[in-house]
Amino acid sequence: MTIKKLFDRVDSVRLENITKKYGEQFAIKNLNLEIQGGELLILIGRSGSGKTTALRTINRLIEPDSGTVSINGADVREFDSVRLRRNIGYVIQNIGLLPHLRISENVGLLLKLEGWNEEEIRKRVRDLLTLVSLPPERFMDRYPHELSGGQQQRVGLARAMAMDPPLFLMDEPFGALDPLLRTQLQDEFFKIKKELGRTIVFITHDINEAFRLGDRIAIMNNAELIQVGTPEELIFSPVSDLVSEIVDSKRKYRHIDTLKVGDMMQPLAREDTLDPGMSAESALDLMVRKGLEFAFVMGKSEVSGRVCLNDVLKARTRGIELKEVTRALPLFSSDTTLIEALAKLKSEGESMGLVLEDNEPAGVLFSDRVLQNLI
Amino acid sequence: MVITVEILEATLEHLFLAYTALLIGALVSIPLILLSLYNAKLASLIMRFSNLVQAVPSFAVVAVVVPLIGIGFTPAVIAIMLRVLLPLIKNTYIGLFNVDPSLIESAKGIGLTEFQVIRYVRLPNAYPAIFAGIKFAAILANSIAVLTALIGGGGLGSMIFEGLTNFNTTKILAGTLPVIAIALFLDFSFSKIEHWLTPVYLQK
Ligand SMILES: Nc1ncnc2c1ncn2[C@@H]1O[C@H](COP(=O)(O)OP(=O)(O)O)[C@@H](O)[C@H]1O
Ligand SMILES: [Mg+2]
Repeated sequence: MTIKKLFDRVDSVRLENITKKYGEQFAIKNLNLEIQGGELLILIGRSGSGKTTALRTINRLIEPDSGTVSINGADVREFDSVRLRRNIGYVIQNIGLLPHLRISENVGLLLKLEGWNEEEIRKRVRDLLTLVSLPPERFMDRYPHELSGGQQQRVGLARAMAMDPPLFLMDEPFGALDPLLRTQLQDEFFKIKKELGRTIVFITHDINEAFRLGDRIAIMNNAELIQVGTPEELIFSPVSDLVSEIVDSKRKYRHIDTLKVGDMMQPLAREDTLDPGMSAESALDLMVRKGLEFAFVMGKSEVSGRVCLNDVLKARTRGIELKEVTRALPLFSSDTTLIEALAKLKSEGESMGLVLEDNEPAGVLFSDRVLQNLI
Repeated sequence: MVITVEILEATLEHLFLAYTALLIGALVSIPLILLSLYNAKLASLIMRFSNLVQAVPSFAVVAVVVPLIGIGFTPAVIAIMLRVLLPLIKNTYIGLFNVDPSLIESAKGIGLTEFQVIRYVRLPNAYPAIFAGIKFAAILANSIAVLTALIGGGGLGSMIFEGLTNFNTTKILAGTLPVIAIALFLDFSFSKIEHWLTPVYLQK
């Protein structure tokens, strides 16, 4: 049995100039947001900031007063709303399992409505329950009220996956769970997310959850989008105090494990660096003029490194090329995790490392400055 | 012997009257309920009307039918029907609409049509209330079918009123005992059925 699909994959979900008012009150005000295919975008903000409203415009549970929501460039209003919703997994905090149906019937309801036969439904339900770590034989025939909150939420997740949708909308799915259980479900969800590689819009009020799960985070306040960016962008370039407050950047070291080398490196201006082919004479000239004790030699990665004033003097007296006296530095790619990079610097007794982007030197990572920034 | 046959006949007449009215009441309430599912204005109108009908004493409802449609079996059926309409409609309505809003939201959100929301969410939620409504209506129909003897409905009510006017204790008892028996039987059997029908998730 196949599933009639509106789209096999989601390349983009775009909310353009979305406004929704209740009476005189804006629930969302001129919202512009693009969700990229394959990413998990977090919506975070105070209660009443418009997150749920924004989310529900995507599956047309709410029709905005103005503006357009489009998926892969097609206005969602072009789709039949029921078909659209069957192509979008939807999970809410209250889960919404039907109390009079068994777990297997809850998970399989849409498949039944889509005309699958009993056999196929049972098989699919078993697979889905297994995926969310609920042994099928133990859970298929039970009723929702016989399950714990965490188990019910897993069932909710399984139900959302029944139609194998390329897009998921999740409204504080783990919000009602106790912290320990929440962490566990986040871990499992993260694994599932990686396996399935779907596009997900995920509302939370928990910034740690946001950092754990989110590729990008959109911060909403008073019906408006304040900032959207990667966790690192929000931590290091918050556009307002509100953003700093929400991402808790005063205690950013707590999030050090989400950081990459690229976020902490000092970019290097080309005019301040030395070319490996440069004569020692002109290198010395430049360093003296700029008052540098040491300088970076930037060429192809294998000849890049640093030189001290001393080295340059040596090279001049010996009449050798600059690259002969260049000392290599630990090399990192900009998406190496910060933790890993710092550990390597420490073990090699280096205070700095060269950061490469596309095999080109792009910046320098100073271990002491990292720590300064983090504490 | 004569009296036994008379009682039996009157009882059958009584039951026929009461439950024809109940059946018609159920048939009338179904479209009204369905309409009110799709039209909030109509729903509130129907609810207001039903509440009004309930405020009017049963005896008055029975009496008011006479100037409108006269006396006999049909007016009696209509009088009973008007009276049982309310518990049927009101209970069903409450059952259909007192649903946890997040249930409706998630059902719509995963892609159920309006009809499927009624079929899979609202109706199962309403069954216990609907059943309670039917039980109440059945008991109500039994007692009003006694009153409708006054407007020519016949049955056990006629025996009771006859007995009352003639101070004939035997007649009075012959009329009232079956009515009481029917009421007790209804209460007992409906409670049993209710227990069977109560969904597992509502049983403690
Ligand atoms: N159906 C509604 N009727 C009236 N006001 C609403 C309705 N839904 C949401 N709102 C209002 O719109 C604003 C945004 O709500 P919502 O999107 O649910 O916020 P969030 O999910 O961020 O908590 C709130 O002020 C809320 O009170
Ligand atoms: Mg919300």
